Amino acid sequence: MKLQYLAGVVVTSASSLPSLQNVLLRPDVWRGDRFATAPMAAVASGFETLDAELPGGGWPRGALTELLSDAHGLGELSLLQAALRQCAGQAPVALVAPPYLAHAPAWAGCLPLERLLLVQARGADIAWSAEALLGSGALGAMLVWLPVQTDTRCLRRLQLAAEGHPAPVFVFRPLAAARSASPAGLRLVLAGKPEGLQLRILKRRGPPCNVPLLLEVPRPVSRARLLDRMAPGVLAVPYPVEA
Amino acid sequence: MLWLCLRLAHLALDVFPPEALPAVAVERQRVVCANAAAEAAGVRAGLGLAAAMALAPGLVVHERQPERELQWLQALACWAEGFTPQVSLAPPDELLLEIGGCLRYFGGLESLRERVRAGLAEQGLAAVQGLAPTPLAAQWLARAGIENACERQADLRSVLSPVPVEVIDDLDAAALRTLASLGVRRLGDLFALPAAGLQRRFGASLCLQLARAGGELPDPRAAFVFPEQFARQLELPAKVADAAMLQFAARRLLAALAGWLAARASGVARCVFMLEHEDGELPSQLELGFAEATADLSRFARVLQERLGQYRLQAPVWRIVLRADDAAPLAGRDQGLFGQEAAQALAPVIERLRARLGAAAVHGLSVVADHRPECASRVVLQARPGAQADPLPRPLWLLPRPRALPERDGVPLQGGALLRLAGPERIESGWWAEGEARVGDVQRDYFIACNPAGEWLWVFRDAAGWWLQGLFA
Repeated sequence: MKLQYLAGVVVTSASSLPSLQNVLLRPDVWRGDRFATAPMAAVASGFETLDAELPGGGWPRGALTELLSDAHGLGELSLLQAALRQCAGQAPVALVAPPYLAHAPAWAGCLPLERLLLVQARGADIAWSAEALLGSGALGAMLVWLPVQTDTRCLRRLQLAAEGHPAPVFVFRPLAAARSASPAGLRLVLAGKPEGLQLRILKRRGPPCNVPLLLEVPRPVSRARLLDRMAPGVLAVPYPVEA
Repeated sequence: MLWLCLRLAHLALDVFPPEALPAVAVERQRVVCANAAAEAAGVRAGLGLAAAMALAPGLVVHERQPERELQWLQALACWAEGFTPQVSLAPPDELLLEIGGCLRYFGGLESLRERVRAGLAEQGLAAVQGLAPTPLAAQWLARAGIENACERQADLRSVLSPVPVEVIDDLDAAALRTLASLGVRRLGDLFALPAAGLQRRFGASLCLQLARAGGELPDPRAAFVFPEQFARQLELPAKVADAAMLQFAARRLLAALAGWLAARASGVARCVFMLEHEDGELPSQLELGFAEATADLSRFARVLQERLGQYRLQAPVWRIVLRADDAAPLAGRDQGLFGQEAAQALAPVIERLRARLGAAAVHGLSVVADHRPECASRVVLQARPGAQADPLPRPLWLLPRPRALPERDGVPLQGGALLRLAGPERIESGWWAEGEARVGDVQRDYFIACNPAGEWLWVFRDAAGWWLQGLFA
């Protein structure tokens, strides 16, 4: 096979000359105004507005998706719920280094519990475990919570391990990581708003997205009640005094 | 019948730690085995020790350890049982495998020999593979370094003809001299001589051996009796103070275990290394656990590597023993229609994770019918299908233990005042466990609340005040 270099990209092709079209078929090369072609069909997120903004029309497989936030309980897992349920149909979903204890009765509503695999790890073991699990090629999806001090080299290894693995990989990192570069294909900043979960797309394989998205992720109580109670002029709802 | 003879020419040295310097094993002041560096300096087997020292100054000399060589040979025999049930030891350095019956299973002769070669290389050994229809001919071919397969008895004499006569057992120096003076240097020359004359000059043993090698007389070999319970020991070449140094010897025992298990179509879910220390100290135990019963050497080796990487030796080790008591028959492997491949691919990874992070670090979850949130989840190795979700809204995350929240004007605070969205939901349970340290009797009013940062929290109030227990992630 002939190797040719084009703008620093190694192109292997059966034809002798790499046409621009062939180059653009690569998942990591895209035109500034269009989405890159996804190497594998994406997993629908269950939110049409989000799918429309993601290359491939959903959560990418075979690439890291970074979710950046300092707060927990914004609905960050409810955001993934539809995708996880779909992925858990074929193979286990692994949670690596979850930040809290998983509450089984709630998880049972998300996905079949026999498909849930929890890995408790600390420090450098977290990335190692994630890489080892991805190496098996047998996961439906993976969620990994990486500590603040994770370096780019570590992420790059994870990204390489994720490539070719037909599962979406969600990496949760603190907001401070937004300032540093990352090899992840998709990076989102999450923020909780009364109207819904706000997503800012920091990076995607496509044109930059400047408008934050607002998603109505499933919540235990209807959001309307929150909005009602936050409306100006409404008195705070008191907590009932114990009898 | 087809016999494969594995001749481990360097076994006498292999039982000692590998040396970069010239090294030899000696027996009665004579070199029996020299390593590559020593051979490069001109040291050969059969040389006197003084001559060897003169040729290679700084020569590392090991006194030969026949017992240890036998142990190694026995461990190898166990490993070889993975190929054939009929294995014979031919001490000091040969192993005979009858492979006529298992060629088809291993996909032909070449494929089998390649597997044997790779298996030995994995254990850091190399052997000459002699192959012939009689065991003695296979041994002679291996000793002469001839690896060409001789599969038919009819070809035997022609294949053996160019082999030098030195390969024959118990021919003393005088007999060899006599043969040389007769112009007999190869086995072919011997075959040409009349048997009666040979017997008169050199005794019955030579003729008997020639007849056995040629297949004219039977050559019964004592079959190696495989142990029913696997417990193999290996004396270490030198005392080892660092766990990582045990890897090599431990791997060899695991290879023996893998072969032993393969022959029984069994697997083990755990096996134990006993590390024996000197001075009458109690042996330490190093246990390897696997996600399921397995007989796969590569899985053994990976778990071993992780365990040794973290293990700290209390005292130097001089001998290791591998025990595998509960071998269970392995079910025939089904090629699953859906999903089972995934579980099979994941199991070795889970083992590695458990070996490195601890057995409890990789787990599943199951639901327990208890209203107290702390008691509603149970950590299990593998969850069963059919778990019921709670119909009421429940948070995905729980704090390891409830965190006390400050309160202002009857409103709990957590990153600002908490806005009440739902509740109270009364949970009152556990009276039978009153006074228990962990959870005990609870009487709580639960609320779903939201803080200014947009975090949806599960808080409760009890007699002691406000507590944060969960997050609706």
